[in-house]
Amino acid sequence: MLLVGIIYASATGQGDAAQRALFSGGAEAVQLALSLCGAYAFFGGLLGVLRASGTADALAKWIEKPLGKLFRFERGEEKALADISLNLSANMLGMGGAATSAGLSAMKTMREVNGERASDAMILFLVINTSSVQLFPATMVALRAQAGAAHAADIVLPTLLSTAWATLCGIGACRWCARRGKKSCCLR
Amino acid sequence: MRKAGEKVMLPALTVLCLLCGLRARINVYEAFVQGAKSGFLTLVQILPALTAILTATALLRETGLMESVQQAMAPFFSALHLPEEAAGVLLLRPLSGSASVAAVSEVIARTGADSRAARFCCVVSGASETVFFTASLYFSGIKRTRYAVGTALFAYVCGVWAAAMLV
Repeated sequence: MLLVGIIYASATGQGDAAQRALFSGGAEAVQLALSLCGAYAFFGGLLGVLRASGTADALAKWIEKPLGKLFRFERGEEKALADISLNLSANMLGMGGAATSAGLSAMKTMREVNGERASDAMILFLVINTSSVQLFPATMVALRAQAGAAHAADIVLPTLLSTAWATLCGIGACRWCARRGKKSCCLR
Repeated sequence: MRKAGEKVMLPALTVLCLLCGLRARINVYEAFVQGAKSGFLTLVQILPALTAILTATALLRETGLMESVQQAMAPFFSALHLPEEAAGVLLLRPLSGSASVAAVSEVIARTGADSRAARFCCVVSGASETVFFTASLYFSGIKRTRYAVGTALFAYVCGVWAAAMLV
């Protein structure tokens, strides 16, 4: 992106504009980070309380059963279920770090069964993860609040609906591919 | 009714978190401070990426390249009922989390926090994940990914479409 911009600038003879931009970008970044700092730390604090009170584990236990029905495990993969539900519940609460380590361990368990080929359950798990299951978009609310939005949190509901829709579509697509994939795969 | 709900959402969420903490009989203050510390650390971690992306977008903006690309894509975007300012965010979001945060803040700065474009970008970013980053993290060592990336991107597009309908 930087290269394209500079080449474009010199091609159209706007060296001065490029120079201005190169210095203002860094300043903008620091300003943004500073103005986000308070809100970020506050949400981080709330998350800390949730983490310490074991909410993620409680949630994980609660969703484990329905998840077991959703995933069609191959033999040996079902050991990953506990990690999968921990990953998803940590993700819902916005605890990125805890979610990632649980997710990686779930993937490792399933990889030991499948080797270098991704199984249907592994793909479903990945797709649910990439379609985001976060319940409260803290960063975006913080961004809007520091920019002086009238109601910073009024994006929460549309976000939840979009994310739910995306996840549903992802699950549906996985199901469809998995069924087709028994004989030939839709994408390799 | 909805507006009233949105006004009390943040305070209510705060109370809920604190109650959770009290119920579990932990030191709420200590846990809050620890969490806030990690909030700061996250910010420091994404600062280098913010610098790179904001410099690059400033460059594209100042030289007018962004505008011409946007103009070229405008008919396509308006046909899909998408705000044209969101092009950068839509492209960056599956690639990098901090880059898309920077891009969203750019859109907010340019169009105002309450514009449709800004709200749309926020919803898209909140409702999606870094598809390529997550896939490479979780599927490292896997050679046959089969339909994984296709379905993940399909879900992303569905989320974007839902956001365009809702905002």
